[in-house]
Amino acid sequence: MKVALNIISGAKVFAPKKIEDLEEKRIVPKMMLRRRLTRNAKIMLYIADKCGFKGGKIVYASAFGELQATVGITDAILNETQISPTLFQNSVYNSAPSYFSLLNSDKDEILTISSGMKSSLDALKTSALQALTSGERVLCVASECLDINNIDEVNNCTSYLEAGAGVVVEIAEDMSDAVEIAQLKQEGIIESIQELFNLVDMYEKEGSLKVVIEL
Amino acid sequence: MKSYINSYESLSCAGNTQELMQAIYTKKSAIEIDTSYMPETPVALGKMKEGDFFQALEDVVSKVLTNSNLENFSKTLLIVGSSVGGMAESESHYFKDKDYKNIDPSRHSISVIANHLQKSFNFLDTRSLSTACTSSANAMVLAKRLINVGAYENILIVGADALCYTTVCGFYALSVLSSKPCTPFNEGREGMNVAEAIGALLIQNHKTKDSIELVGVGASSDAYHMTNPDPEANGAITSMQNALDDAGLSSEDIDYINAHGTGTMANDKVEALAIEKLFDSVEVSSTKAIIGHTLGAAAAMEAIISCEVIKAQKVPPQTALTQQENPNISLPTESFGKEINYVVSNSFAFGGNNASLLLGRVK
Repeated sequence: MKVALNIISGAKVFAPKKIEDLEEKRIVPKMMLRRRLTRNAKIMLYIADKCGFKGGKIVYASAFGELQATVGITDAILNETQISPTLFQNSVYNSAPSYFSLLNSDKDEILTISSGMKSSLDALKTSALQALTSGERVLCVASECLDINNIDEVNNCTSYLEAGAGVVVEIAEDMSDAVEIAQLKQEGIIESIQELFNLVDMYEKEGSLKVVIEL
Repeated sequence: MKSYINSYESLSCAGNTQELMQAIYTKKSAIEIDTSYMPETPVALGKMKEGDFFQALEDVVSKVLTNSNLENFSKTLLIVGSSVGGMAESESHYFKDKDYKNIDPSRHSISVIANHLQKSFNFLDTRSLSTACTSSANAMVLAKRLINVGAYENILIVGADALCYTTVCGFYALSVLSSKPCTPFNEGREGMNVAEAIGALLIQNHKTKDSIELVGVGASSDAYHMTNPDPEANGAITSMQNALDDAGLSSEDIDYINAHGTGTMANDKVEALAIEKLFDSVEVSSTKAIIGHTLGAAAAMEAIISCEVIKAQKVPPQTALTQQENPNISLPTESFGKEINYVVSNSFAFGGNNASLLLGRVK
């Protein structure tokens, strides 16, 4: 079953290692909360801000989730040191959108997709379903943070170790003029979030965009 | 299109579905004291007897297929809900090698479960969700909506999580692990039991002679705290109310609630308050007293239990209840037969992520 989505807004951000300016102080004025945020959460909040999304249904995607927190926990277990409770609470895959919910008092549904290298494609499909069944606008955002200290196996897997992209979508009234998402190979962007990068590129180029999504 | 649960199977520390229901109705907890994860700190965990988790996964899914009206899964969408995916395997390599060289990234992530099953069963497509302890509940939320809009005819839900050091030691760090089998809703309860399980349910757009209907689904976010639930219980109430609204039912229609009931101070207090506020009179119990908290698999497991409860027309008792903390909800300490048409099954997770499923008898 195919549906058409209007792309309302879109944004992307990426860097070879750490993304330098995610405008955390403006987006998260409370220092105590800001210090608890994971890198994925900071990217997710930045993308949501750039998309002008204030609240509503969110579909977040990440193949590897909160790898930094996971590494910290396994290191603590191996070294027989105490696990930080904050690290553990931050290790779940839905941490990033949950911080958005906390910051924006967003009490709507949050879904987190982790479908390996097709995570952002599946997130778009899920966003389309959420938009179709609710009649509301949905934020679809994907990120990966692979800049993990001292782990060469991760740090060499792609050119841009931190990257995120997102769009706000709504169901289009009809399929006319709806186009397929371009299957471009985004050099250096990990495959799990490529589909959303392609979509944001198309949106930035066209200004106004309607795409076809297979549910 | 309506959604019908037409075939299911599970595996947990209490055994298969039949053995699990026997344990629930006879109040025999399958939780055991364990020192393998923390040698100096005994904790009570729910360990499956099957050694190979991925073989067990295949066996459970095979049984669902055998008991279904399908010849294969070639026209079935697989949706997996898991909170840790391949974490246990990654830990095993890391603790042995003390480096990351032998960790296969594709076997570390959540999608390892779907990928493994795809190789064996050739599904039409696969999808994986991870919202901590609501993972398989949200998988079922998606499944109902996909069937309702006519996008798929058959969807297999698999909720699966294996025990691993990260979850056992992580929950210990949060000071919510119990050293004995958990006592949900009891005064002075000690905490939860981390456990492992696999639950699989085939949801289809047509009914068979043995169907249970997935009548309604609801979800919400607390927007309160990353690990503690909203003390006013607003998120839990909204989640259940959304499921009732989706089903076109009212709280008076519900005959039994399979509670999230982890056994932690925070969850049980808030969930009991939510039930007290939303329902006038309904029987409630948490079957986590029997199999523990199976994390991402919990909702799939408890949906299966709810199906069995509807089929048996018998309310499961609250095991290990001696002194009820909230006297304003009905927690039966012995099982009893009654007409059960509708059951609500709750799941709540880190990040204030809430999901409620409403299952009904097909008349």
